[in-house]
Amino acid sequence: MSPAPEHLVEAVLLVSPRPVRLGDLASATGLSEPETEAALENLSARYAPEGSGIVLRAVAGGHLLSTNPACAGVVERFREEARPAPLSGAAHEVLACALYLGPLTRGAVSRVRGVNSDAVIRNLLERGLISEVGADRDAPGAPALLGVSDDFLAAADAGSGEDFPPLDSLVSPEELARVRERLTSTEEAPDEREG
Amino acid sequence: MSAPSTGRSLADFTVELDVYSGPYEWLLALVLKDELEIFEIPLRELVGLYAGSRDPGSANALDRDTDFAGSAAALILLKSRTLSPALEAEPDDEDATAASPEELAERLQEYLKIRRAAEHLRERFARASGHYPSAHAVAPKPGRLRISSDRLTLAGRRAFSRLVEPPVRHLGPITVTLQELAGLIRAGLLRGPVSYEDLTRGMDRLRSAVAFAAALSLAQEGAVKLLQAEPLGDLTFEPLDPGA
Repeated sequence: MSPAPEHLVEAVLLVSPRPVRLGDLASATGLSEPETEAALENLSARYAPEGSGIVLRAVAGGHLLSTNPACAGVVERFREEARPAPLSGAAHEVLACALYLGPLTRGAVSRVRGVNSDAVIRNLLERGLISEVGADRDAPGAPALLGVSDDFLAAADAGSGEDFPPLDSLVSPEELARVRERLTSTEEAPDEREG
Repeated sequence: MSAPSTGRSLADFTVELDVYSGPYEWLLALVLKDELEIFEIPLRELVGLYAGSRDPGSANALDRDTDFAGSAAALILLKSRTLSPALEAEPDDEDATAASPEELAERLQEYLKIRRAAEHLRERFARASGHYPSAHAVAPKPGRLRISSDRLTLAGRRAFSRLVEPPVRHLGPITVTLQELAGLIRAGLLRGPVSYEDLTRGMDRLRSAVAFAAALSLAQEGAVKLLQAEPLGDLTFEPLDPGA
């Protein structure tokens, strides 16, 4: 008796430490893509966070079996390792630059943040959260362009870059106006005094 | 508890920060090597940790306090310099010139958005933390690796790139020096003003060019005056002092 399609998909997902794309799953299991999708739907129900220590996540353009965050404590105790320290504020800013303004060069990141960001970028490259995705061939020396990686999407529980809110929606127009007003009024103050 | 007098009075001081945990001296080394970004280090917390670890009764308390005060002051200076926008200015004209209030407002608004996006990412990462994927790892098999040609090009470029040196094969061995031609000009000027044409008559192109460079050098020293009645006209060298 041959295994059910969801068993095949489940077996492949279990041994993959990275998200597996639909096409790769279909190719590995010998199923058609619609059959694979149907199997994934069945598995999603079975691996819902409320009913299992393992959850099926749709992240970074693929599917990934992970432990349920509710069980993270025992997993960490069993593996005798602490949860990685949260990233710094500077690291989150660099990631935000790569996500919303990328691909962009190291210099562009530093210009947006107003401070040199090379050390933070190096750290994020080592962690695999950003990667060099090309080169700016129009700039002198063709500096590397940085973008977010699949590991970043998995860490943020996102299927793709589309899963994040638009950059412009994160700050209200009133707040932006206040920034502009504060700056321009500060600059104009000396003239007013002179007048 | 007192450290031996090895000149490393802070050797036993360890710190516990979000971004680093370990000996204080190593923290300083990591900062100096740019492995840790200075503005990620909460200096106030660092001072608090040191104050909490102080033992005023120890034999080297004064050494420790002095060393810590010195290194903490250096960290504060480094942090303030790192955060100073003037030191971060790019050499290109765009950033070297003072930005208008409008441009500054644009940049601040963009940064504000990125700051908010960073806060959003922080929350999102916190929510998603605690997911552990399969620990099973299959070793990649040679020949079955998927290699992106772009990434391969990038890696190759990084490994092999170097500045292209201009070809110099057409240049022969050096047969004439600036000093030699300067001497020749000085000798020619002993009889009074001399034209560049007369001076370089019979010289090849290389010697003529070096003679011109030597004349410019002498003019810069104030030994010779260069006269040219009209653009592209005859060039005349005139001695400026009796010794020229």
